Amino acid sequence: MILKELRRRSLLGGLCKTNTMKDQSFANGESRYRLQLRFLLNKGAATVGLPPAWVDVSEEIASNVQRARVKMNELAKAHAKALMPSFGDGKEDQQNIEALTTEITNLLKKTEKKLLQKLSAAGPSEDSNVRKNVQRQLATDLQNLSMELRKKQSTYLKCLRQQMEDAADLEMNLNGNRPKEEDDDLDDMIFSEHQMARLKQSEVYTVEREREIQQIVESVNELAQIMKDLSVLVIDQGTIVDRIDYNIQNVATTVEEGLKQLQKAERTQKQGGMVMCATVLVIMCFVMLVLLILKEIIF
Amino acid sequence: MVLVSAVRDYVYRMLQDISGMKVLILDSQTVSIVSVVYSQSELLQKEVFLVELIDSISKSKESMSHLKAVYFLRPTSENIQYMRRQLSNPRFGECHLFFSNMLKDTQIHLLADSDEQEVVQQVQEFYADFISVDPYHFTLNMPSNHYYILPAVVDPSNLQHFCDRAVDGIGAVFLALKRRPIIRYSRASDIAKRIAHETAKLMYQQEIGLFDFRRMEMSPLLLIVDRRDDPVTPLLNQWTYQAMVHELIGIQDNKVDLRSIGKFPKDQQEVVLSSEQDAFFKANMYENFGDIGMNIKRMVDDFQQVAKSNQNIQTIEDMAKFVDNYPEYRKMHGNVSKHVTLVTEMSKIVEERKLMLVSETEQDLACNGGQVAAFEAVTNLLNNESVSDIDRLRLVMLYALRYEKESPVQLMQLFNKLASRSAKYKPGLVQFLLKQAGADKRTGDLYGNRDFLNIARNMARGLKGVENVYTQHQPLLFQTMESIIKGRLRDVDYPYVGNHFQQGRPQEVVIFIIGGTTYEESRSVAQLNASNSGIRFIIGGTAVLNSKRFLKDLEEAQGIARSNANVV
Repeated sequence: MILKELRRRSLLGGLCKTNTMKDQSFANGESRYRLQLRFLLNKGAATVGLPPAWVDVSEEIASNVQRARVKMNELAKAHAKALMPSFGDGKEDQQNIEALTTEITNLLKKTEKKLLQKLSAAGPSEDSNVRKNVQRQLATDLQNLSMELRKKQSTYLKCLRQQMEDAADLEMNLNGNRPKEEDDDLDDMIFSEHQMARLKQSEVYTVEREREIQQIVESVNELAQIMKDLSVLVIDQGTIVDRIDYNIQNVATTVEEGLKQLQKAERTQKQGGMVMCATVLVIMCFVMLVLLILKEIIF
Repeated sequence: MVLVSAVRDYVYRMLQDISGMKVLILDSQTVSIVSVVYSQSELLQKEVFLVELIDSISKSKESMSHLKAVYFLRPTSENIQYMRRQLSNPRFGECHLFFSNMLKDTQIHLLADSDEQEVVQQVQEFYADFISVDPYHFTLNMPSNHYYILPAVVDPSNLQHFCDRAVDGIGAVFLALKRRPIIRYSRASDIAKRIAHETAKLMYQQEIGLFDFRRMEMSPLLLIVDRRDDPVTPLLNQWTYQAMVHELIGIQDNKVDLRSIGKFPKDQQEVVLSSEQDAFFKANMYENFGDIGMNIKRMVDDFQQVAKSNQNIQTIEDMAKFVDNYPEYRKMHGNVSKHVTLVTEMSKIVEERKLMLVSETEQDLACNGGQVAAFEAVTNLLNNESVSDIDRLRLVMLYALRYEKESPVQLMQLFNKLASRSAKYKPGLVQFLLKQAGADKRTGDLYGNRDFLNIARNMARGLKGVENVYTQHQPLLFQTMESIIKGRLRDVDYPYVGNHFQQGRPQEVVIFIIGGTTYEESRSVAQLNASNSGIRFIIGGTAVLNSKRFLKDLEEAQGIARSNANVV
């Protein structure tokens, strides 16, 4: 990483220096940097140069998205497994699902934060346009992922609810069936014992399901927040902002605007009171220090 | 569908094999070509993170060598000059060049000479040299469209450019379709003959290898006609959705710019009207104004229901459902407001300019007989204060085109009245139109009064009555296409080029109108294609006309002709 950084700086520095450096130290008039550059370019077919630093961030985000996708496939399988009727109480399945869901949600949240902070570009340069477009595309991918996750969760939720209702129905049926069986007292007692055990089980079962649903709803809300934030970046398909020619025109106007803003900012900064204040304070500090030292020396 | 998918396929192939971050560089014409078929979000999917125009990119000095450059340009000498400058100071890592038409050998040599640093990885020709606005409708969007009106001696070099662009465009269409056609043209038009012969030379002699496709049983037919054979269609006011929007507001590359007619919130200033992306538009683009009103009302009602259910959020489940459906809801909202805005604005314009009244007379002039009644109606409208200048001009032109021979005195009266009423009217424009597109200059039977069969048909239609007075006009193109379907397109009117000949009916027909097409004609084409006649029609022109554009072309041509006459 550091090596890459150094190489990148030297390459860029080389390009700058080629323009401004005077050929003092070399007899045949070639600067060292120019030689390096020529060598790099003469390596047969053109080599694609090193990208700026933010590209690393974008690649990281893209790989996060990929990881999240893989995890989501796992989650889908875990959902399917948990919904199948099983003999055990399915605690491990629940925990697995919970763990996966929280992992994915956290991953998405982290990625979204990074996307909005690190990749935001300022200024009217072409590089910032590229950054903006990369940001848009990653935002679209991220949003699609969150929507998929939400859909999966809501279907799982629905199935869970369905199962809960079935369990409740079963309970009611059991309750309903009780008065009918008055014939056999013995059978009655045995039945009621069975019944009690079953009731207890389905109660526990329902409480579990309740908790799960609560958690899923929470994560759904979190995802909703992510989607809201991202929707600013994502392009609405079919509208005017999705047209290439509209974006080209806009770039032209924003570039001019940006230039004006930059010039204005430069002017105000130069006249800025802040710079004045800071200089005055620093001078005062030095004066005080000198006075302090003098005081020590004299006394 | 076929033209749109051909261009999309080309763009896809350009971007597919190149991995990594790309920048797409276009020129002012290819920007339109790509924008109507590919959207920005699709480009982002293909990792194209920057789109630039070639003239603006030459100004910047930023080096972005981590991007690969994909150039898609028309092979003009200007673009080659820009490319040479780019290649001698390359800003990007790699260069992939794609040209939208055939490159000359000299151009290739020039490019190769400038490529000292060997950044060019490939040079290919992808024949997407036309703007496919609708599935069966393409245009070349030529800025100076008026040269077709003038005779060749007036401005030979500009006319040559015009013809070259038209021939290139037609060649690209057939290369994209991978067919080589039999060519016919409109007898009375010199420029149609010239373009037909030049196209034949291109396809059968110069680039015979390129056009040598596998022969099917029936070659397709290329029919080249002149706008002046049917000057009535662009002058009429339209009442079907797409044509009406273009006539009253103006559609350019499937975009409508509303800023010229009033103040709108930021997201409604420019809207997109594309049948590919907007399902409501696709279902309603050929419907008339009354039906559209009803359909929009239905759409608004549906939307209001959805909005009401969205406000009724009580449980967490409802919230979750709302957030799930939010993107859909937003899209629907945008779509509904777009159409409602358009229809409202058009209604306002119809009210202001009293277009219902004017259009009734226009349709009568175009379709029915009765010179005396027509003269009276036109005079009344000319006297009417609220009719705008352009509408008056159109009425007089329509009257003149129909009754130019019948009563010269009354015609003169109308001219004088027009000149006195309209301040901005350029005198002699109507006469200029008559000279160019008068009865003896036209091929085909515009008013259906040349042979007995047509007269009989018209009388029968008159007796039967029409469904809608405002949409009773059928463009001349419709009759031409019907004759092609029946296999009865007359050789006298539309001769073959050279020794081409075709027995029976072709299965694919491309009609190229020099001077421009109208949306009314593309509607006829779509209707015939939908009627399963066994023939697929494609229509294209040098521009897409509305009455403003057509009149502007006439005025410019008249100006040039006049200055030329003065010089001589």
